[in-house]
Order: sequence, then structure tokens, then C-alpha cells
Amino acid sequence: MQRKKKTNWILTIVLVLGTATVFFPLYMAVIIAFKQPSEMTNDVAGALSFPARWSLDNFRQAMEVTDFWHSLGNSLLITLATIVLAILIHSIAGYVIGRGMAKKKSFRFIYLYIVSGMFVPFSILMMPLVKQTAQMGLGNRLGVIILYLVFYMPMNVLLYTGYLKNIPVALEEAADIDGASAWKTYWKIIFPMMMPMHATVAILTALGTWNDVMTPLVIMSGTGHNTLPLAQLNFQTQFGTNYNLAFASYILALIPILVFYVICQKQILNGVANGAVKG
Amino acid sequence: MKKKMNNRERTFLAIVIPVVVLFFMFNTLPMLKGIVYSFTNYKGYGSYEYVGLRNYIDLFTDARVGKSYLFTFKYAIAGTILVNVLSLLMALGLNSKIRFKSALRGIYFVPNILGGLVIGYIFSFIFTYILPVVGDVFGIGFLQNSILASEKYAWIGVLIVGVWQAVAMNTIIYISGLQTVPSDVYEASMLDGAGKWKEFWKVTFPLVMPFVTINLILSTKNFLMVFDQILSLTKGGPAQSTESISYLIYKNGMDGGQFGFQSANAVLFFVVIVAISIFQMTVMGKKEEQL
Amino acid sequence: MSKKGIVRNISLMLAAVLGTVNLGGCGEEASSDRAEVEMVCYKPEAVKAFEKIEARFNETHDDIHLTISSPNEAMTILKTRFIREDYPDIIGIGGDSNYSNFLDADLFLDISELEELEQVKKSYLQMDKELEFVPQEGAYALPYAANAAGVLYNKEMFQKYGWEIPETWEEFMTLCNEIQSCGIQPLYFGFKDTWTCLAPWNALAVGLADSDICSQVNREETTFKEAYRETAEKIKALLPYAEENPYAYSYNDACTAFARGESAMYPIGSYAIPQIKSVNPDMKIDSFVFPANDSEKENVLNSGIDLQFCVMKNTEQKEAVYEVLRFLYEDEVIQIYLEDQGGIACKEGDFSIPSELTGMREYIRNDRMADFQDHHYPSEMSVDAMIQTYLLDESDNSADKFLKRFDTEWKRYNRDLIRKVQEYEKGMEDAQ
Repeated sequence: MQRKKKTNWILTIVLVLGTATVFFPLYMAVIIAFKQPSEMTNDVAGALSFPARWSLDNFRQAMEVTDFWHSLGNSLLITLATIVLAILIHSIAGYVIGRGMAKKKSFRFIYLYIVSGMFVPFSILMMPLVKQTAQMGLGNRLGVIILYLVFYMPMNVLLYTGYLKNIPVALEEAADIDGASAWKTYWKIIFPMMMPMHATVAILTALGTWNDVMTPLVIMSGTGHNTLPLAQLNFQTQFGTNYNLAFASYILALIPILVFYVICQKQILNGVANGAVKG
Repeated sequence: MKKKMNNRERTFLAIVIPVVVLFFMFNTLPMLKGIVYSFTNYKGYGSYEYVGLRNYIDLFTDARVGKSYLFTFKYAIAGTILVNVLSLLMALGLNSKIRFKSALRGIYFVPNILGGLVIGYIFSFIFTYILPVVGDVFGIGFLQNSILASEKYAWIGVLIVGVWQAVAMNTIIYISGLQTVPSDVYEASMLDGAGKWKEFWKVTFPLVMPFVTINLILSTKNFLMVFDQILSLTKGGPAQSTESISYLIYKNGMDGGQFGFQSANAVLFFVVIVAISIFQMTVMGKKEEQL
Repeated sequence: MSKKGIVRNISLMLAAVLGTVNLGGCGEEASSDRAEVEMVCYKPEAVKAFEKIEARFNETHDDIHLTISSPNEAMTILKTRFIREDYPDIIGIGGDSNYSNFLDADLFLDISELEELEQVKKSYLQMDKELEFVPQEGAYALPYAANAAGVLYNKEMFQKYGWEIPETWEEFMTLCNEIQSCGIQPLYFGFKDTWTCLAPWNALAVGLADSDICSQVNREETTFKEAYRETAEKIKALLPYAEENPYAYSYNDACTAFARGESAMYPIGSYAIPQIKSVNPDMKIDSFVFPANDSEKENVLNSGIDLQFCVMKNTEQKEAVYEVLRFLYEDEVIQIYLEDQGGIACKEGDFSIPSELTGMREYIRNDRMADFQDHHYPSEMSVDAMIQTYLLDESDNSADKFLKRFDTEWKRYNRDLIRKVQEYEKGMEDAQ
């Protein structure tokens, strides 16, 4: 037991050194976010040097241009709503399809039908969806949330059914014999056991929705509500891009999702610590 | 007992039907409409005519479309293999007894959240200005010019960035997969000594097999649908050597006036990619049973 | 934390976010007795100028309320709004293939009764005419501001070495050699962004090919193989004077390099000036018309409509819309726009021309201008990428290959249009 707890230092060192592949680009992004446009240059030494002055001006200005708090609110609203609904709906759908699949051909078909939806290129859906959501009065944030729920359904169902394979059916059967309904069994027994997968789904769904430009752009532009990525388009035109402000704004937008990720990581670990999964 | 199963089945149906309806409404229905457009010369607005199978016939004679399929497949095969090997190793590493575990997990996740503009600018800079210096110093020929400007090597540049970004996501899935491996079994496989590698294959690997399937399918799909990296790094260049299928569909279907034709392309692409993943699922499903 | 607890907490967070966002979401109600005119422009960089213009209009008009938006990705937004059948009243777009396509889709109102059209410089009206796939009765756009493309040069560097502005192709080549012999790089290109390949291409082609060449090809009167031969040869002749491997450098790199004095000249449009100046605000830039010909008399300035206003057919308040257009065309209002954006007024009159375009002034005054050729190319044909491919191609017959491809692809990408044109021509003949 003692021996197993020993830190693997070699691995630690390898992994720490490997972070250079992340830190180097990140370093560049951060110094650009602090520089002024007139400090931009094409020579390597100049590009990697510190900004002349460490000032938060770019960040302040970026927040102003993107109407930061309002855009952040919209992004948070859409992302959180999508995550919560995805965890609730996709997990039970994954469970029902996964368990049903083992016994019935029709569920196998539904599984393939939904998972194959993952491969539909968004471009072909875009125009019909724009029209359809407008006709249904969904050309707004609610419409975007619904679309995300549908877009991420294939991946999440795939993830949940995959995870389910490692959860023994015996548990449910025992509950069944005790007289619990399938509905109750699911929420009482299976849902908590899928904690690590909930956290994974939360991260992956959050990632996709947080950075997405296209869906909000075509569905809810003109409603007066911007998400952060939509607001960030302000920095970019064909003939001129203010990289300094843009980078400052991207770094600001990166912080909430990074925090969220760290919280979810803990959940992935907790799932095991609670002893939810037993072989 | 029989009545109980019926109850369970009824609950299952009550859950699955609304889900399927929702999915049909916002995925299948618009797709069917898209398929209708694939038989027209629709530009995306204004009036259009039905042109029969012309778009589909054109697909097979269009050199640019053919080139984009070749590029995309080359890219997807290389990317899928690289990402899965790297992220499984990463997951094993990040899941073992190391220091700074949370911090490391957080750091390796960052590439996945950087936006396209940042990625495009920074990696273009690295490929255009930094790597050529490295190439000069160490005499590495193919680095001496920006690889993004080379018809031959530009796809490798895109691949590097694609893999760099994708590893994070696949690692997360592998880590959560490793959590389903009961800790005693998992720790046993991490015992020092000659048997470690063998134990990994015999004990851990079969248990994470469902996650290998998931990751293979997801990463194949993501690499086949590569779009963001192309847009931010090469925009299909140089000399149209890195035009991916999704990029072409988007660029000419949305920006250009080829909506009808590119819808046909999208339909073909959809069929191809579904065929590939059903093949993957079947093969992997058999593997899973064997193990 | 229990599982239920987590779900509950997330729900609470969600409710809180929902609440705050909705509170902030209440918009102001417009009073009902005023006509509401909505205008969408495709120039997000001009948002400040539009804000000023909008405020000025609303201060002086009690009966009409004008809203101008100038969002990013405006073309995507406009197209999706058209799909939704949610049309603004006026759109501000460029005089390019989007205009041709929207017009062809019958989206615009004939505004020929608007007297302001008489004050537009003739060459810009002509450009709009040439953008019509099939000749249309009436007028559908009010040209507002134009940009110009040629060669930007580093004025201080030119003065220091005493270089002269070239007026013919030969002089231009001599100048490039001279600059090179001074140890300075003459040109800089950002061909990594393929669209920049079109800048020297257009600037050369306006002088070497007819402005309606695409229509001529559609009527099968000529081929690109003939019309573009010289342009193709001359654009390739520029490469030895630019940096090595220009395909590695982006538009932005090229702007930065030129701003930092890494090259003496930069063949690009006036639209690049703000980006260059952001890197080097004190730089003295001037420009000259691309001397594509052997005689100065044949040179033509490459200038196109950067912004023009079109009225959507579905508008329900024609009078109010006309009032807005009349206001926009007042000299002082145009001046507000030009001061913010640079560029050239499409209206006749004594408007200021940015100092960076001094070298082009005579051409502008004398109306010696022709539109960007690529405004006639369908964007899905990706002529920019074809030019890049051609420039990368080092084989001897590269020009032949490129021009042949140009002709074949043109037919493929324009076949519905060519058929339409031919049907129209046939209809005209039959009518006679």
C-alpha cells in the first residue's frame, strides 16, 4: 500500500515539461493582450518581448467594446441552461436507449439514428433552421438553447450509453424486484452513479457552447442580445484586426470556462471517491 | 414479473418518444429540407429552380471537391491515430500518482478553449517566424520556410494545431473512463515492475474499451469535420491544398452562391461519414465483446 | 456536496442568471406616430460615423426615427434575415457580386425617381450598371463612398532616395530595380490571405482589360485567355521584387512590414491605411495608380463602390426612406462619413480626398476610374485562390494552364447566369 502511494516523479517531470507546449502560446497571447498596436512587430525578439507597460487598459477597453457584463450574462445563461438540461435529458435518454438496446432492435435503431445525427454538417441545417426557428418564434436565446440540446444529443447519448456499459444491470434488477419504478430507479440509483460522466458531459457541452459563434449569429442576431463570441467579432474585419483588444477579450472569456472546468474535474474524481462505481 | 417489465417498457417509451420527436424536429426535419435544396440551384436567397441530379453528377466531376475529400481523409486518419495515442497516454499520466495533478489537468485543458483568432495568429506566427529560425539553426530543411506556405507540408501544420487542441477533450473522456475501472484493479495494473505494461493491456485496457470506441468515433468525426483550424490557419491555401470538405461546404454554400450544390456535397459527406462510423462501431463492438 | 445538492445549486444559479439578464433585457418602446426606418450596413468599422449620422438625423426629424446598425458578419446576418423574411428598409452594401445577386433575386426597389442620383459621378453609376447580370430598367443603388487601389508607398523613403513616381510599366520595372539596388525591398505581399492576391490583379487588370470583360465572356464574344494574358504575365513579373515566399505572410504581416519600413511600396487598396497606421501612426503614406500600360494615357485608377444604399422592395414607407437617403446625401453628412472612414465621395463636388491618396487625385477628379474586376467574379469560384495557385506554379506554361482553367471554371460557375444572359439576348433579338 505504501509503495503505491509514492509519487511518480519521473512522470511528474515529463508532464510538467510538456506544459511548455501550452505555456508558450499562452505566453504570447498574454503579452499581446497587454501590448499596444504600435508595439506589434514581425521580428521574433520583438514579438516575444514584454510589453512596454503592463497596463489593464486593453482589458478595460475590451470590456467596454464587448459590453462585457451583458454579453457574459447571455453566454452564462445559454451555457448553463444547456448544461443542466443536457445532463438531465441526455443522461436519461442515454440510459433508456442503452438499456433498451440490449433487448430490443428498435432501441438499437434509435441509438444509431440519434448518434448518426452527429455527422450532419451544420451548413446544411443552417438555412432551414433559421427559417424554422423564426416561424416558431424561437429566433432568440431559448431557440439557441434548444438547438444546442439537439446538437449535443448525439455525442452525449454516445457518452452515456458507453459509460453505462460499465455499470452492472444487477443493481437495477435488484431495485426492480424491490418494487421501485423504472423512473425512480434511474434517479435514485443510476443518475448518481454516472457522476463522472455528468461532469464530462458538462465540460464538453460547455466547451462547445461557450465558444460557438455560428449558432447565435444566425439564430439570434438582431435581438439585441450578444453572447461573448458574438461581441468579440467586433475586433475583426477583413481589412483590420485589433489583435491587442481581441486577445485581451479572449483571455477574459477564457477565465470562467477554466474555472468551470476545474470544478468539474473535481467531480470526475469525486465520483470514484464516493465509491459509486464498484466492479 | 411480466407486468413489471411492461411498466418499465412503458416508462422507457414515455421517455424516448419525446426525445426522438425533439431530435427529429431540429435535426432530421431541417436536414430533409436541405436534401430538397440539393436538387436545386438555390443560392440561399431569392428564387431557384430544380435541376434534377445535376449537383450530384457535378460532385463526381469537380476536381476541387475530389481534392477536398483526399485532404480531409488524409488529415482525419493521421489526426485520429495521433490524438488517441497521445490522449490515452495523457490520461494515464494525469491519472497516476503525480504531483500538481489538478494544476496539470487544468493547464493541458487550455488549448481547447482558445478561440480561433488567437490560435490563428499565434500559430501562424510560430510557423512563419519562429520555426524557420529553428530550422536554420538546426539545419532542418523543411522548417526553413513557413510550412503553412508549402503546398506539401501545410496540412501538417494544420494537423499539429488540430491535435494540440483535440487532445484535451479526448483526455477528459479517457480520464472519466479510467474512473470506471475499479480502483483496486487499476492500482494493481500500476504496480511497478516488468508486468506493468502487460497488466495494462490485460486489465485496464479492456475496461476502458468502451471509451476507446467513443473516442475513436468522436475524434474521427471531429477530424473529418475539420473547419475551425482551416479557417484560422490557412483558409484552404496555399494553392487550395488544405480545403477540407466542411470548409468548402461552408465557404461556397454560405459565402458563395452555391448553396444547392454544396447541400448535395453535404448529403454525400453525411452518408460517407455515417458509413465510416457504423463500420467503426461494429468493429469496435465486436472487439469489446471479445475482451 | 450531495448529487441533489449540485443539481439544486446549478438550478439556483441558472434562475439567478435568468433573472438578471431578463431585467436588463427590456428595450425602449418606440412611439407609434413616427415612421421607423431601419438601415443595416456591412461596414462595422464605420460604426462610429453611423452613430453620429443617426443622432443627427433623429435630432432634425420629428416624424421619422432612423436606426442604423452596422454589425459584424453583416452579410451572414442579412442573408439569414432574408431567409426569415425580416427585411430592413435600407441596406448599405458594397458594389460587388452580392449586389448583383441580391438585385438578380429581385430584392431591391427601383429608386430612379430620387433626384440625388443625378449628383452621382458617372463612372460609379456606370459601375452599378455593369454589375447587373441582365440589364435592368431603372436604378437600384445610391453609390455613397468609394475606395481606390493601386500602390501605396513610403513617402519619406521616396524623398530620401529621390525616386520618381512611375507612369508606365517600364518605368515601374526600372523603379523596382533601382530600389532593389539600394538594398531595399521594393514590394511586400501578404499572399497567405488569398484575397490579397486580388489587389495587384485588379489594379493591373483595370488598365489592361475592358471593364465589362466578364459580360463579354458571358456573351461569348471573347475569352479570358485573350483578355487576361497580359495581366497574368505582369502580376508574375512582380514576384522577384517582393519578399521571398510571400505565401507565408498574411495581410496583417504585410501591413506591419510596410509600416515598419521593410518595403518601399505595397500594392493594396486604400482600405489598408488604417491598419498600417495603427502600427505606425506617424508614417507618411502616399499612393499612385498602378502603371499597367506602356503609355500613361491608358492607365486607369482602380476604384470601386465601397458603400452604397439600396432600398428593399418590401419597405412600407417609401417616402420616409427617400427622406433618409436625401439626408444621407447632404454634403455635410457625407463629410462626416469621409472624415471617419477616409475614402472618396461618390457624389460630384469638392470633397476632401485623404492625403494618402494625393497621387490618385487627378484620376479621381477626371473620373478616370474602373471597378475592381473581382466584383464580377462569383465568390465560390475563388479566383483569389486560383491566382495564388498560379503564382506558386513555377512551370513554364503556368500562364496557359491558369488562363485555361479560368475559362473552364468560369463556365462551370456561371452556367446558370450565362444561360440567363443568352436567353435575354435571344429575347431582345426576337423582340426586334
